[in-house]
Amino acid sequence: MKFDYLKRKRILLVDDEQAILDMVLSILHEDGFQNIATAKSVKEAVELSEAYRPELAILDVMLPDGSGFALMEVLKSKADYPVLFLTARGEDDDKFRGFGLGADDYMVKPFLPKELLFRIHAILRRSYKAENPFVKLADSEIDFDRAEVIRNGEHISLTAKEYDILTALYRNAGRIVTIDALCEAAWGDNPFGYENSLMAHIRRIREKVEVNPSRPVSLITIKGLGYKLIVEENGS
Amino acid sequence: MKSVPKLIRRFLGIMLLSTVLLLILNFILLVVVTASQAPNGYPWITAGETSQALRQTESGSYELPDAIASELEESHAWAILIDNETMQVVWQTDNLPQTVPLSYSISDIANLTRGYIDGYPTFTGEAENGLVVLGYPKDSFWKHMWPSWDYDLIANLPKTVLSVFVINIVFIFIIYCFANFGLLKSVKPIVSGIQRLPTKEAVTVRERGLLSELAASINKTSEILQSQSRQLQKKENARANWIAGVSHDIRTPLSMVMGYAGQLENDKRLPEEDRQKATVIVKQSKRMRNLINNLNLASKLEYNMQPVRMEKQNVIAIVRQIVVDFINMDIEDKYPINWETDEAQSVCFAEVDKDLLKRAVTNLIQNSINHNEGGCHIYIRIMKEEERCAIIVSDDGTGATDVQIECLNNSPHYMVCDENTLEQRHGLGLLIVKQIMEAHHGWLTIDHSQYGGFQAVLYLPVIRNY
Repeated sequence: MKFDYLKRKRILLVDDEQAILDMVLSILHEDGFQNIATAKSVKEAVELSEAYRPELAILDVMLPDGSGFALMEVLKSKADYPVLFLTARGEDDDKFRGFGLGADDYMVKPFLPKELLFRIHAILRRSYKAENPFVKLADSEIDFDRAEVIRNGEHISLTAKEYDILTALYRNAGRIVTIDALCEAAWGDNPFGYENSLMAHIRRIREKVEVNPSRPVSLITIKGLGYKLIVEENGS
Repeated sequence: MKSVPKLIRRFLGIMLLSTVLLLILNFILLVVVTASQAPNGYPWITAGETSQALRQTESGSYELPDAIASELEESHAWAILIDNETMQVVWQTDNLPQTVPLSYSISDIANLTRGYIDGYPTFTGEAENGLVVLGYPKDSFWKHMWPSWDYDLIANLPKTVLSVFVINIVFIFIIYCFANFGLLKSVKPIVSGIQRLPTKEAVTVRERGLLSELAASINKTSEILQSQSRQLQKKENARANWIAGVSHDIRTPLSMVMGYAGQLENDKRLPEEDRQKATVIVKQSKRMRNLINNLNLASKLEYNMQPVRMEKQNVIAIVRQIVVDFINMDIEDKYPINWETDEAQSVCFAEVDKDLLKRAVTNLIQNSINHNEGGCHIYIRIMKEEERCAIIVSDDGTGATDVQIECLNNSPHYMVCDENTLEQRHGLGLLIVKQIMEAHHGWLTIDHSQYGGFQAVLYLPVIRNY
């Protein structure tokens, strides 16, 4: 599997409820994650993180001896790795606080296993893509590390904008990414009126990754909405 | 404080009017009193009449007609006639006091003209060949013959009177201002306190001065209002918090139900029949999740506890993301969503709370899914009009009857209805959409769709010049 290296990531799971820990563990194990450590309090999590050196933390917001936000600050002060919040509080202000402090994503309980797994895969792919820069498409491979496409042994380099657009598509591989999200990835906040430029860039990317750019198989258009990147052997 | 100048004007008017009325009243009183004194008031005239009436008879003696004689008698006056030549008294009334001299010098005449003879006030009248002197009882008249005025004083009298009048008015005004300044000063905070009462803010008026009792009752009223609104707020908070608490407490157990059911649903080792059952559990858990989310938000919106963060947003981008999220989640492709928005239309700016608008549109799409178990096509279209933006969510599913649509458009939801009714129980989803649209100064309409199913349209005011 292409994404096997992600399944070996060390995950720290913190929740004060044993039943939730058991369930999330079971979901992660079933999906193939092998290294998971659990903690039930801030104190336990901080102690555990010293030796365990997690590469992803999944934290509950309300813990018996403090808040998950405070725990994240402590964890991030020691080493930088992504954090996903799981919480039973659906309030928006929590969400804003979580993201403002540098949380990577946020999930409100209850959730379906596939929803949780999708988020975890997306975060890991985004955070550790450099470790496996080769992404296999139907007709070509993308080397994100060197920002180039390899097709039939030929190396074709990507421009900065093409790279940004492909990164955004790859992060959500197999799912539609809206025109607006792609424009934002390429041109920053409030990108208005770039739809035509985006179309031009997509056309050029297709010329690089597709054998037949007018009949794309990897970079699909979803009319009016956005684009989807189909990755071979998608691990998610 | 528009009322204070009005108040001053009114006071001033009343004061000026009363001043003028007072002057007139005094004048009238003066006239009346003087008129009532008139019978004794004309001793000079009586003296003149006496001198005219006094006749010398042929025998050389003098005679006074009875009418005048009786008038003199009534007023207890005596009379003498002093001859011009001899300066001797040539005629006298019978009641002449003993102390009155009978012979006069010129200086005596001058004295008696402007003064008294032995305390009797005297008045003179010119007779044919002598001077008639009337003497009235002691202390019956004041005689002041001294005054004489500078010519200009009388000549300038109208001007003087006018300026005195003006000075008087100015003086009265100043007194009025001083007197009323204190009153106005104490009225002003009370007026402003009363005006602030309906604004629901806490009002404290200093309890001092003339109107301290009034100030005290305003303070008390404000206190009562404040405590009432605090209690109401407390109650509403308690209710919203209770709902938030319940929904929070349900989330954790529901996580377990959903998580394990989700695993069973995808467990290839299980027989198909069991996996189907797991699917039902997953589906019902999702419904419960929606219900909890909606219940919490609806109660918060109802009690204004949901902060609304309005920002300029591209409505098309927001809706596009929601549609994509639905398509990404709908693996079986049971509910294909068709994006019908005109491709040339890529931006439509409005002041919106992104999360709330997302919730409204999500609820509408979820509504179509919930009411069409067998699947349906969903059509999303955004139309930018002059001053508004219409988000149209329609489907080709089972739809609703005319009566149901009428009811959805007009009847209140049971959660916000004060009557105890069982008839209007439709989902919380649409109530929230309505509440969210209200918070955005927009509205929701529900109708039949052109595709044969249900249609909901959200109207939002847009930012112009885009």
